[in-house]
Amino acid sequence: MSSEERLELLQGTLDLLVLQSLRRGPAHGHTIMQAIERRSGSVLHVEQGSLYPALHRLIKRGWITFEHGTSENNRRAKYYELTAKGLKQLAVETSNWEKLASAIARVLRPA
Amino acid sequence: MIWRRRRALADLDEDIRDHLARETEENIARGMSREEADATARRAFGSVARTKEDARAVWVPIWADQLLQDARYALRLVRRSPGFASLVVATLALGIGLTTAVFSVVNAVLLRPLAYRDGSRLNWIVTYDDRVAPIKSIEVVSAPDFLAFHDHASTLDRVVAFYIGMERVTAKDGVVATRVATVSSDFWDLAGATPELGRLPSTNEDAIVLSHAFFESAFNGDATLVGRMVTVNDRQALLAGVLPRTFRPQLPAPAAVSQLPPGEVEAYHATMIRPPSPTDFGVQLFYVIARTRPGVTVAQVRSELETLRADVQRAYPKLASAPRLRVTPFADVLVGHAQRPLLILFGCVLLVLTIACVNIASLQLARASARRKEVAVRAAIGAGRGRVLRQFVVENLLLASAGGIVGLLVARAAVSSMVQLLPYAIPRLTETTIDARVLTFASIASVVTALACGIAPAAALWRMNVQDALKDGTRTTTAPPRALRARRVLVTVELALASVLVVAAMLLVKSLWRITAYPAGFDPEHVLTLKVQMSGQAYRTPERKRAYLDEVLRQAGAVPGVLATGLSSDADARIRLIRQDGPPMSILDRPIVRLNVTSGGYAAAIGMRIVEGRWMTDDEPSAVYVINEALARRYFPGENPMGRRLLLPNGPDPARAIPVPIVGIVADLRTADLESAVEPQLFLDYRHGNPFAMTVNVRTAADPLHVAPTVRAKLAAIDPTQALFQVKRLDAALIDSIAPRRMTLTLLAVFAGSALLLGVIGIYGVMAYSVSQRTQEIGVRMALGATRQAVLMMIMAQGIRLTAAGVAVGAVSAAGTSRVLSSLLYDIQPTDGASFAVACVGVAATAIAACSLPAIAASLVDPVVALRCE
Repeated sequence: MSSEERLELLQGTLDLLVLQSLRRGPAHGHTIMQAIERRSGSVLHVEQGSLYPALHRLIKRGWITFEHGTSENNRRAKYYELTAKGLKQLAVETSNWEKLASAIARVLRPA
Repeated sequence: MIWRRRRALADLDEDIRDHLARETEENIARGMSREEADATARRAFGSVARTKEDARAVWVPIWADQLLQDARYALRLVRRSPGFASLVVATLALGIGLTTAVFSVVNAVLLRPLAYRDGSRLNWIVTYDDRVAPIKSIEVVSAPDFLAFHDHASTLDRVVAFYIGMERVTAKDGVVATRVATVSSDFWDLAGATPELGRLPSTNEDAIVLSHAFFESAFNGDATLVGRMVTVNDRQALLAGVLPRTFRPQLPAPAAVSQLPPGEVEAYHATMIRPPSPTDFGVQLFYVIARTRPGVTVAQVRSELETLRADVQRAYPKLASAPRLRVTPFADVLVGHAQRPLLILFGCVLLVLTIACVNIASLQLARASARRKEVAVRAAIGAGRGRVLRQFVVENLLLASAGGIVGLLVARAAVSSMVQLLPYAIPRLTETTIDARVLTFASIASVVTALACGIAPAAALWRMNVQDALKDGTRTTTAPPRALRARRVLVTVELALASVLVVAAMLLVKSLWRITAYPAGFDPEHVLTLKVQMSGQAYRTPERKRAYLDEVLRQAGAVPGVLATGLSSDADARIRLIRQDGPPMSILDRPIVRLNVTSGGYAAAIGMRIVEGRWMTDDEPSAVYVINEALARRYFPGENPMGRRLLLPNGPDPARAIPVPIVGIVADLRTADLESAVEPQLFLDYRHGNPFAMTVNVRTAADPLHVAPTVRAKLAAIDPTQALFQVKRLDAALIDSIAPRRMTLTLLAVFAGSALLLGVIGIYGVMAYSVSQRTQEIGVRMALGATRQAVLMMIMAQGIRLTAAGVAVGAVSAAGTSRVLSSLLYDIQPTDGASFAVACVGVAATAIAACSLPAIAASLVDPVVALRCE
């Protein structure tokens, strides 16, 4: 897919997507990024530079945590993991997002 | 939180490396070469540094992070130009150090509460006579008044009577003249005394309590002596206890209280004050400190005490007590007279700090123009003006904190040398310490200084045009003429302020000269003085005292090297002046004059000039008076006092007073206190006076301190139970009498010297800088035929213009403000022309000398080199 067709993430949605992608289990940064891109059908483009600040933001809020592990190719890497608090937050954010999206959709629907 | 942050940030690097490695591997899997894969991964990731910064920003507020950066950057700059940094730090240390030193004295003397519990409720109570000239030392309270106040005043909850004198305490090595405060029973509670050994005297007990220092020095700190009897003035008194080192009640500077030089009280003697029997002629006199009950006003106290005094007057009709009562807050009595000089000094030291600020601002301006390019680059790569400005503030704060810390050390050294040199120049001076308030002051002073110094350079940079600065190419050091103009203005301000301080110092120096300009014949450097106090049973009669004094004169006079020996009572004794031929009037309306009981050798020993008639001899058959010119002028205007008779009281009955003829007139001479005007004075021959203490004045050919041990030993041998004290050269005693003035002068001289030094550095800096800027121009001038001399003159003219402007502004400001010094001056006007002239010429000469170095450097410019240096 050419870069013109990719969409930049809306402000604030990266956190939601990161939380969602961690629902299926711990993952490291690169995997999270790929998961988001893959699941969006490569429409969404995660600015790699903003992923790590987002992860730190989530750690600071206590929504995710991390631990050290060894990756498949024997490299030390950090695995990020959803916390119980994060799971709850994910539900809240998801419902907020759905409300927002449907509201925007209603507004944009041709009358 | 902190540890989570640390953990989260700790392996961010590793995390990103891992991320990049994965991306690279995937790229390779897509068929790229390793290099290409790596480059693509990096490109896709973007700036690693930026990512790290953003991740960090999640945890650490941006401003804190940037502050740290600014501080690191500032430190790097300091390391790169250590000369500039040390000059700034030294200047700041001088300014902040001196200011903090003076502030710590102001803090100890004026700001800190008194050492007494509820010090603000303490009052000083005196009775005085408004019909005679005010004489502080005789403003006291009589025993009956004190007892009335103590027993009946409902507005007062503690009333303490005390006096301080020298008493003879028999210590382990014999008799010591001891500074004893005799205190009434409320004293202990008022002063909050808790003994470290023994106990406090109970009411009606004849007991003494020693200060810690005196107990150590005179009794070797022997605790077994506590509870035993010691001999005080030949009488037994109980040594009840020892006070801790921390017990230092603030009693008014004894100089104002008695003829004693100031010093620490060594022992406290409990006294029982009894009412005099109604037939007594004499009455005990005390100083009185009273604590009012909470919520009572001074006016209420006064009116109650006036009422009580009226009762006392009825009970003791014969008591000639002073008609007026004064109630003054105790703090005013203690330090009131020090307030003005201290505030003046504080003002002066703030001027020094201002000069230091201006100096640094000028240095920074010079550097700001050198740093234009650096700033422009920072601005070009995205630093906002605010950020650049903050960088400057941080830099200044860093330098100011260094200056502040060194300044505190300077302040500590300055305070301790002040206390050591002149401990009693200001009451409470010895209490000066660097406490929390002083530290706060120093910190605030440092920060304010940092900000003040930064304004001018920051403004210069604020106005700077980034493009112009960058385009400037090689000419990185060219200052915009505006900055140089600003620096010239700053230097003018500096020199003006320095001139003001130097003028002030000159005025004080001249006052000191005036004070110590001794009249011809008076030669205190060759006079040894020491005091003898004839006390105890053996000296109850005047005859015994005279016999002792005769022996003193004989023994002292026989010491080799002694030219003349004389006695003087020098006490604060005063007498009503009653002319035998004068009109009858109430005793209370008679003027009060000073009475000095002296011997025949006194005039020669001290160098007194006889104006008319003769001096007394040691064996006058009947009493004679010699008067000084001040008395003759004041009380015998337009007539010849010689041969006139004055009445000398002889017991309580005025009818028995003895008429004493005036046989001579002597020139006025200040022999005790250099500062006060010469009082009208009567000299009575010692054979007919009855003083309780005498000063022995010994005039010597060589330095009197050489004969001092011999004189001391000979006199001590006459009666070992009598203490000899205050053995010193008369000039030293006189100098002690002007300790406050010397303190003020010394400090002001230090301030003026510092100001001048800073001013000179300032003008030198500007001139040297301006010459370095004009090197090319000078080269051109020389290439076109200007002589070296012409160049020298050109630069000198510039320096002289600056100096003249600064000194002129300074002189005008000094003339406008020197009136505040009036109270510190002696015998000269605050606008004294000579002092102004000397000060201004001195400042100008120093400044111009400083300019001559850059001017000479300019004249030595090699035109070939100068023209090529572009």
